[in-house]
Amino acid sequence: MISEFTAAGSAAADGRPFDTRSPWRWLASHLRRHPWLLGGAALFSVIGWSLFGLGPVMVGRVAQVVIDGQGSAALLAAALLVLVVLLGDSVFALSNSLCAVTLGHRLERDARDELYRNLLGKSQTFHNRQRVGDLVARATDDTRHLNQMIHPGLMFTADMVLGFVAPLVYISLLDPRLLLVPALYAAAFAVTVRDYVRRLGPVLMNQRTQYGRVAAASEEAISGIEVVKAAVRETWERKRFHGAAGIFRDLFVRQGKIEALYLPMLLYGAAIALALLHGILLLRAGSIELSQLITLVGLMNLLRIPTFMSAFTFSMVQNGLAGARRILHVLTATTELDQNRGGRQAAVRGAIAFEGVSFGYRDNQRVLIDVDVRVAAGETVAIVGQTGSGKTTLTQLVNRTYDPGAGRITIDGVDLREWNLTSLRSQVANIEQDVFLFSRTVAENIAFARPGASRAEIEAAARAAAAHDFISAFREGYDTSIGERGVTLSGGQRQRLALARAFLKDPRILILDDSTSAIDSATEDEIQRALRSVQQGRTTLIITHRLSQIRWADRILVLAGGRLEASGSHDELLAASTVYRRIFSHYDVALPPLRAPAPAPAGNGAAPAAVSAVNGGPR
Amino acid sequence: MDGIGAEEYDRTYGDRELVRRILSYFRAEGRRMLIVSLAVAAASVLTTALPVVMSRAIDLVASENAGGGAVAGIVVAVALLNAGSWGLNAVRRLLGARAIGNVVLRMRNDAFGALMRHDLSFYDRYPTGSIVSRVAADTQAFSEVVALTMEVASQVTMVLLIFGYLFTVDPVLTLITLALVPVVIGVALGFRRLAREVVTQARRAVAEVSAHVHETVSGINIAKSFRKEQVLYEQFTTVNRQSFRLSWRSGVVFSSIFPVLFTIAGLGTAILAYGGGLRATGGGLTIGGWYLFLQGVGLLWFPLTSIASFWSQFQLGLAAGERVFALIDAEPQVTQTGREPVAALTGAIELRNVDFHYKEEEQVFSDFSLTVHPGETLALVGHTGSGKSSITKLVARFYEYQGGQILVDGRDLRSLDLAAFRAQVGFVTQTPFLFNGTVLDNVRYGRNDAGDEEVAAAARRVGAGDWIATLPDGLATEVAERGRNLSLGQRQLIALARVLLQDPAVIMLDEATASVDPLTEALIQEGLDELLRDRTAIVIAHRLSTVRQADRIVVLSAGRIIEQGSHDRLLQAGGHYADLYNTYFRHQSLEYVQAAGALN
Repeated sequence: MISEFTAAGSAAADGRPFDTRSPWRWLASHLRRHPWLLGGAALFSVIGWSLFGLGPVMVGRVAQVVIDGQGSAALLAAALLVLVVLLGDSVFALSNSLCAVTLGHRLERDARDELYRNLLGKSQTFHNRQRVGDLVARATDDTRHLNQMIHPGLMFTADMVLGFVAPLVYISLLDPRLLLVPALYAAAFAVTVRDYVRRLGPVLMNQRTQYGRVAAASEEAISGIEVVKAAVRETWERKRFHGAAGIFRDLFVRQGKIEALYLPMLLYGAAIALALLHGILLLRAGSIELSQLITLVGLMNLLRIPTFMSAFTFSMVQNGLAGARRILHVLTATTELDQNRGGRQAAVRGAIAFEGVSFGYRDNQRVLIDVDVRVAAGETVAIVGQTGSGKTTLTQLVNRTYDPGAGRITIDGVDLREWNLTSLRSQVANIEQDVFLFSRTVAENIAFARPGASRAEIEAAARAAAAHDFISAFREGYDTSIGERGVTLSGGQRQRLALARAFLKDPRILILDDSTSAIDSATEDEIQRALRSVQQGRTTLIITHRLSQIRWADRILVLAGGRLEASGSHDELLAASTVYRRIFSHYDVALPPLRAPAPAPAGNGAAPAAVSAVNGGPR
Repeated sequence: MDGIGAEEYDRTYGDRELVRRILSYFRAEGRRMLIVSLAVAAASVLTTALPVVMSRAIDLVASENAGGGAVAGIVVAVALLNAGSWGLNAVRRLLGARAIGNVVLRMRNDAFGALMRHDLSFYDRYPTGSIVSRVAADTQAFSEVVALTMEVASQVTMVLLIFGYLFTVDPVLTLITLALVPVVIGVALGFRRLAREVVTQARRAVAEVSAHVHETVSGINIAKSFRKEQVLYEQFTTVNRQSFRLSWRSGVVFSSIFPVLFTIAGLGTAILAYGGGLRATGGGLTIGGWYLFLQGVGLLWFPLTSIASFWSQFQLGLAAGERVFALIDAEPQVTQTGREPVAALTGAIELRNVDFHYKEEEQVFSDFSLTVHPGETLALVGHTGSGKSSITKLVARFYEYQGGQILVDGRDLRSLDLAAFRAQVGFVTQTPFLFNGTVLDNVRYGRNDAGDEEVAAAARRVGAGDWIATLPDGLATEVAERGRNLSLGQRQLIALARVLLQDPAVIMLDEATASVDPLTEALIQEGLDELLRDRTAIVIAHRLSTVRQADRIVVLSAGRIIEQGSHDRLLQAGGHYADLYNTYFRHQSLEYVQAAGALN
């Protein structure tokens, strides 16, 4: 598989890849790595159940001793034998459990490791399609289900099978004819339990979903309580909640009904009576002894355990299989980008060209349509457009977060796909809208690009990004940790940290997708200055909410519905684009008369905007 | 852990009050519960009778002179006993599930009703997660305790019956069997303590793995663009291995419980086999009686372990019930003195000598007065904490004030029908809240009875309706959880349309400052122009354009009005407003934008 990341020293690096063709094969290829545990679990389980089944047989021997009046020494010996057999059973049951527990946990660990490595290697296209919560659930909950599928799921399944087989074998040793009743029961059990599981499964699942809805309904009402009260919708919300809680009640009652009428238990009761009858008849015919009848009753009692257990064993195995399927789904999803290790490695100058670029995240979705833009090295280009017009996507194509569906993008005249991915990305910095910081120290976050950077370099970068002052104000300065247990930063502060990070990386192409909420004028001044200095001598693409940035960019691209609607300097657009004029219409400023028609590029590429773009290099 | 920590409104109910409270929920289920109790008792008797009948059967066949009729009788008795206890258990489960389901439903509805009654001060104080967990999880935990109580009650009855009967058969052997009880309970309790410890550690380790994966997946683009995959992978390996170690340990503890208990049961069986055997050989006990004791041990050990763990689970369940009751019983602070009908408002609002605080130690207003005239647009400006939002929240009656009066059209706000009053007040917050459903549904939230066409018309009046085209499916677009799939700007436009549909006499606006692209901002501005026309409006202003256009600007500081007047006059005066302008609004001015080019 071609991947963006291949870990060194990973579990699969021993040359035995896991078989991802089907959930069963995948599980088998994982389990095969632990032959001793698997074999041990199986062996101990068989021995344990053999001893457990031997228990009633030994009790029957004691009965024989009592009936025959063989004396206390013989009685003690027989009773000790009971003790030995039952203790032996416990020891082997424990060993079996230990093997299964270890196997299950190893499976969980390895599957999670495999999934994690795989996630690191997936392209951004993949990651953008997935919700974070969903991937986390697969890496945690589903892997745990795999574990539970082995222990206790698979172990219980084995117990259930052996729980039938062992007593039946010992009964057949008493007298093969005695098998009649328990064998019939086993068959009837198999049929009824199947039906039971089929009916109960969906109810349990619906109930879980409905519980989520009940919780969500109250959570939503609380989070929106201001709106609920302002709109006087309390009664309506209450009705909605009652509806959801009522459905939950109905499902709960349905579950109770199905569980109450657990048919195998009734059949088991009948089997006991019939086995007793059969035994007495054989006893009267002289085929078996009284002690053997006692053994028979004891063995029949053992069947209660698998009968009782079956109700919840199947769902564990089912959950585990579903988990395996969900994990496999991620593992086998294709990664569309390759690193191109042999590709071009060179210093980037910074000329970018989009040539007839179209792109969609999903099939038959078009986020960008036939975009043609040339950006000269060192130019600053602002991108303007409403949310959803494709601004962010356009910039994400530049560092190959995605590859375009049609057309091509070149840097310094070379198609992006011909660049070595590492070489390319190390020279392109992307400061995203929602600045992501790792829960580590401020210094480590800034030095993310260059882990070896000295403290002096880090501070210099922070100063250039106008971040040094607020960092110094923290009690632990650059060693302050960020995130859950550390300080929380404002949007403006996060952004300046990201700028510092970009400074240290010293890229040739800078992409700013900036969005800062509620800032005051003084912070605005600082950010302005930081941005200005970071732009010096670099090709810069900015998606910005700052009018000052838009106003003073070398060129402005106006996007609408994935198409390039207009392109030009502030003054040109103010004269030519109605969309652009709208932005400034709330200022007490005389707008120049609108020149009609607006010079929007035609859809097919050779557009006036693109031409003017070529001429409009850096000033 | 959500919901486990005690909140201020929690209280300890006396045992009697708690029992009375629980019983009141079961009152409607009286007949069902009676039948359930009878079924529990009867099933216990039948279950106990089974080994007795079996032992009799053995004695009977041992005597060799039993007739065919007696044998048939025994077999039929065994069959009937089994079928009978199955039937009784089915009845118990069926009716029990219905009763518990109803009780939980009633509790949940009451709890949710309480949520709707509480004012905003309640939600400021207590985290959403913990309240939700009371409504959903605590009610669930309470129901499980009821089911558990029924189960344990039947097992206790059974254990007592078995011992009672065994005692009549052979007192000495019964006492030997009894000696096992404390051992089993002691071991079960010991395991519980051990289990609690390892489970806590394991859970922490799992949380750490989850947090690590979450962070990696969220920051994957950073990791990729900086090519840091190997570093992350090494960190993950450490966390994953630690999680393996700790959860393996808890797995080992849990899986050894049953083998250990089995060992004790095996020991009991061996002792009784020997002791009983001695008695039987001596003639003090029949072979059937001997067998009965062996069966007795088998029947005992499972109930004993569940009885051992019952008490703590029972208390947890009761505590859960207590938390739900506390939520239901907490008193809302906002209370109306009357329910006078409210006709169409002109929109005159007066705060007269109002005293107000959220928390006792932080007074927000003392003797605060402010008058807003009908149709006026009043802009509130001031630093954070100066009391801007408090004014709008008091007028919306989200909070109780401690002194003075708030008058609406000259009438005391406390005496009005709150629902009728609020229907004429529009309230738009900084981060508008959207509910599950379509965009159309969310606009309709402003007025429930509005038809689709009317709702769509309101939406089109905001920003000339251009924004609707940017939604994937127009007004039919499904709003994902909290409006995640919409931009903040789109959410604000929906909120504006919502209020336009409501068509209130008074509008209160905590104007958004948050990031919207310049084009959307222009749309919102147009929407605001439409909304504020001809209405009384109190606006917490963050946009320069709104402040400029307001009829009057009120400058607040620490709960007092320190300046008021129009933009131009206040700016000229060079006082507090001029300072605020330099702090918050200067960079929004065209002068600033034009000058930014010279910053190089």
